[in-house]
Amino acid sequence: MTLRLDDGGGLLGRAREHFDWLLFITVATLAVIGVINLYSATSVARGAHAEDYIQQIYWLVGGGILATVAAVIDYRHYERLGYAVYAVGVVLLLLVFILGREIRGSSRWIYIGSYSFQPSEFMKLFLVIALAKYLHDDPKSEGRTLKDLAVPAVIAAVPTALVMLQPDLGTGLILVLVFLSICALTRVQTRSLIWLGVVGLILAPVFWSYGLRGYQNERINAWLNPNVNVLGFNWDPHQARIAVGNGGWFGQGFMRGSQNQFMFLHEQHSDFPFPVFAEEWGFAGSLLLVGLYGLLVLWCLRVASMAKDRFGAVLAVGVGSIIFWHAVFNLGMATGLLPIVGVTLPLFSYGGSSVMTVLLGVGLVMNVSMRRFYASPSRTTQRLGL
Amino acid sequence: MSNLLLPRSDVGEFRRRYKWMALGAFLAFVVIVGRLFQLQALDGAEYATIAHENIIRRVVLPTTRGVIRDAYGKVLASSRPSYDVEIVPGRVMPSARPVRYRNGLPVARDPDSWPKLAEVLRLNPEEKRTFEARVRAACVSDEDKSPCWHTPILVREDVSRDIVAELKQHHDELAGVDVVGVPVRFYPYKDLGAHMLGYVAEVDSETLLKYRPKGYEDLAREEQQRANPLGYEAGDTVGATGIERAWESYLRGQRGWEKRVVDARGRYRSGPETEQLVDAPPRMDPIPGRDLRLSIDVELEQAIERAMRPHAAGAAVVVDVRTGRLLALYSKPDFDPNDLSGGAGRARVREAYNRMYADPLRPMLDKTMSGAFQPGSTMKPFSALAGLEDHVIDPDHTEKCEGYVVFGRRVFRCSHVHGKVRLHDAIARSCNVYFFHLAETVGMDRIARVAQAFGLGDKTGLGINPEAPGRIPTRSWYALRYRGQFRVGFTLNMAIGEGDVTVTPLQLATAYAAIANGGTLYQPQVVRAVETSDGAVVQEFPPRIRRQVPIAPDNLRRVTDALYDVVNDPSGTAYPARDPTLDVAGKTGTAQTGYVVKKEDDAKMAWFLSQNHAWFSSFAPAHNPEIAVTVLVQHGGSGPEVAVPVAMQIVHEYERLQAVRAGRAPSAKSPPGRPGPRP
Repeated sequence: MTLRLDDGGGLLGRAREHFDWLLFITVATLAVIGVINLYSATSVARGAHAEDYIQQIYWLVGGGILATVAAVIDYRHYERLGYAVYAVGVVLLLLVFILGREIRGSSRWIYIGSYSFQPSEFMKLFLVIALAKYLHDDPKSEGRTLKDLAVPAVIAAVPTALVMLQPDLGTGLILVLVFLSICALTRVQTRSLIWLGVVGLILAPVFWSYGLRGYQNERINAWLNPNVNVLGFNWDPHQARIAVGNGGWFGQGFMRGSQNQFMFLHEQHSDFPFPVFAEEWGFAGSLLLVGLYGLLVLWCLRVASMAKDRFGAVLAVGVGSIIFWHAVFNLGMATGLLPIVGVTLPLFSYGGSSVMTVLLGVGLVMNVSMRRFYASPSRTTQRLGL
Repeated sequence: MSNLLLPRSDVGEFRRRYKWMALGAFLAFVVIVGRLFQLQALDGAEYATIAHENIIRRVVLPTTRGVIRDAYGKVLASSRPSYDVEIVPGRVMPSARPVRYRNGLPVARDPDSWPKLAEVLRLNPEEKRTFEARVRAACVSDEDKSPCWHTPILVREDVSRDIVAELKQHHDELAGVDVVGVPVRFYPYKDLGAHMLGYVAEVDSETLLKYRPKGYEDLAREEQQRANPLGYEAGDTVGATGIERAWESYLRGQRGWEKRVVDARGRYRSGPETEQLVDAPPRMDPIPGRDLRLSIDVELEQAIERAMRPHAAGAAVVVDVRTGRLLALYSKPDFDPNDLSGGAGRARVREAYNRMYADPLRPMLDKTMSGAFQPGSTMKPFSALAGLEDHVIDPDHTEKCEGYVVFGRRVFRCSHVHGKVRLHDAIARSCNVYFFHLAETVGMDRIARVAQAFGLGDKTGLGINPEAPGRIPTRSWYALRYRGQFRVGFTLNMAIGEGDVTVTPLQLATAYAAIANGGTLYQPQVVRAVETSDGAVVQEFPPRIRRQVPIAPDNLRRVTDALYDVVNDPSGTAYPARDPTLDVAGKTGTAQTGYVVKKEDDAKMAWFLSQNHAWFSSFAPAHNPEIAVTVLVQHGGSGPEVAVPVAMQIVHEYERLQAVRAGRAPSAKSPPGRPGPRP
């Protein structure tokens, strides 16, 4: 390898001394709890999903290796490849339409042999990298105008549109929210913000009428009337809420949640792992879990704030926002605060693409975190100049 | 490599944002924690209750309906299991379901067990197609989770035991097929005594609505109990007619329940862990229904059925004159309560109903008590008693019968020219003319008073089927009924049991029983005792006397002597059809039906309906009466020719059964001396 990865001293050099233990421990704890919970959640599903937790461990190990690689290589290399990675993601999304098979009315997977993966999951990360690259190359000293945000908007809009066409409302929503989160990082002119608000307000009813499929409207209606149609569209949120409430202060105990054990929860391995956890561990356990997600998100922001360049900062904020929005939406729909949109709970929901995306993202944050102490040439100069 | 050493981009633009983003994220998590606090800490107990209710189901433990037995322990009504075949469509016909995917690959489906099932059930191709179409139509939905695929549906009701055995044998090949045992009321004697026993039917919506008004489901359990003490639920069977209905509260029993743990798909879970989940009390045992022991003798019923075979319609009542207990209640035409009780399937019930309501002979009508008919000459003993009691007539006075008599402008006819007749001859030979003169002397209200004292024209209070009261007209009744003047003809007709007089066979039988036993009018009873399922007597019903009819023994003796000669004197009307080995006294009757032929009538049916009703009301043995037998053959023609032989066969069978049961060989009896009621 001719490329020098670091400024001396082995593969990581001084970066190794700055390993982010807190980030690692938080994520590892979440992953372990997630697998244990998945074991309980799928214990009732004899046959179909009974072995999911073992498969999940494989995904975690694979994701861990990817994350290690992602953390070791200095992230500034990714910056150069930013748009290429994005382009690959978009091409994969296009391939879904050609290669994907329809399941329950939407095609989201690409099959390679007996394995399948969901490009839309990885696209979240690729979008973050592409936006980081753009903002990295486009420094602005004054507030940005709408014109300045046009290119990032297009970068976000292309994969969002493709995902919505699958259709996958949840992922599309996450992509939009990630984009908005990153925009929130930049300084935008007040006038532009007002314009955005007005346009948003005008587009919302249009989107409600034309942008959503029938079942999606139904879900929102169900959310607005939580006690109606509890045998139909409201079954899942209703039973999830009962499961959460049934947890009480300290929970029913591991593998002893009746809502899960007697199969009142559906999709407990994908959309609703949290009610299983909340029923078994109660408010105490839930508080710990929510605390871990909060810590992870806030830590990502801290890493971003200490990043030495714009790419690293946007990367850390982007990954943090992916985790944040996933957690908030999933916990929100499990507790009845938000309508049902198919959004996974990071490291809790079963799924290779999802797990790998999250771990890969965490690897990038680790990367940024480990390299926060690099003296930037300008700073060095300043210091020398003292 | 070189680019790594370039100046890094300025992060100053972002610096002021982190705090706000952190605050936003923090607040979002605080909101979620707040919601969790609300759900888990504040409302936790409430949700725990809901979660508990989710998995606990009260399973009804069925009770068994009481058995009805005859006086000698023969089972008249009981319950038998009926085996219904149910299938879960999704498991029997997996090929009809939408393809399911797992990890994007179609999941292999089990083979259909439907062809095998159709073969075992011996469905013909037509039935097979119909049923397949039904399943597909019901379950058409792109949602694979459509509940229809998992909800059992009924394929066949009441399959034979052979098929049940075959289904068990091929159990492994028949995934999703279930045999459900349902108790069905079973009447081993089929239509014998059907009117008296009645039948059971599914509880109707009107009754249900009475017990379960709007909002019933929302009531607390205790309030439900108060509103619906009998606990009728949709689909329950309830006695529809006869004893089944009248004694419903005894027969029914009380269902119990058991708390079982179920999962979301309604499947029962068992095991030690699930038992801990059940709260106390876990179970309430069902109470089986009480058994009834009737006073009815089913073998006597069978004899009546045989004796009535030549006749299309009629009724017979046998009552024990010493107790008022009924030994037989028979009404023809009848129906098979097994058809109506649903054991053979709903289609069969519908078909049976349609057939019965179309029949002009009204098989559903209990003619022993729900139908009232002109008694004809069987009324004469009461007219005679009325005259004797008030000393209005002299029994030795004679009237000359020329075959007819003219009152006013009307001619009243007699059956024969009887010549000179006394009261005794007038009863024995059934002379109308004598009774026309008697009626003129005695008057309507005197006759009515005696007839009513014997319970005619009044409900007996047996209470197993709706009773027709019948009618004993009085002058005041005519005053209300007719604007015009009261006519003597009314009285004449009444004295011979024609015109506006109607009685039920049951009334007539109890009245003759009172004549036979010296004037004690008993309350007829059909249930002798209530027993538990293991035979212990819970309650016994002693004979109940309605009243002592105020009649002088001498007068009664005169009438019973005459009734004896009806059968045993060569001039008596029943003499030609008598059974010389039997000791019977009675009175024949031939009642005009007054049927007006309508244009649309079928000629044959019109002829039949215009025939007279044949009566014979009697008691036996004449010198020491045990039973009173009343026979009505509707549109049978002449009482002496048609009804007497039936009654003779009934008495004959009664004597034979008595002898057999007493361990004696049945033997012919020598005709005894003069009969009479025992004091």
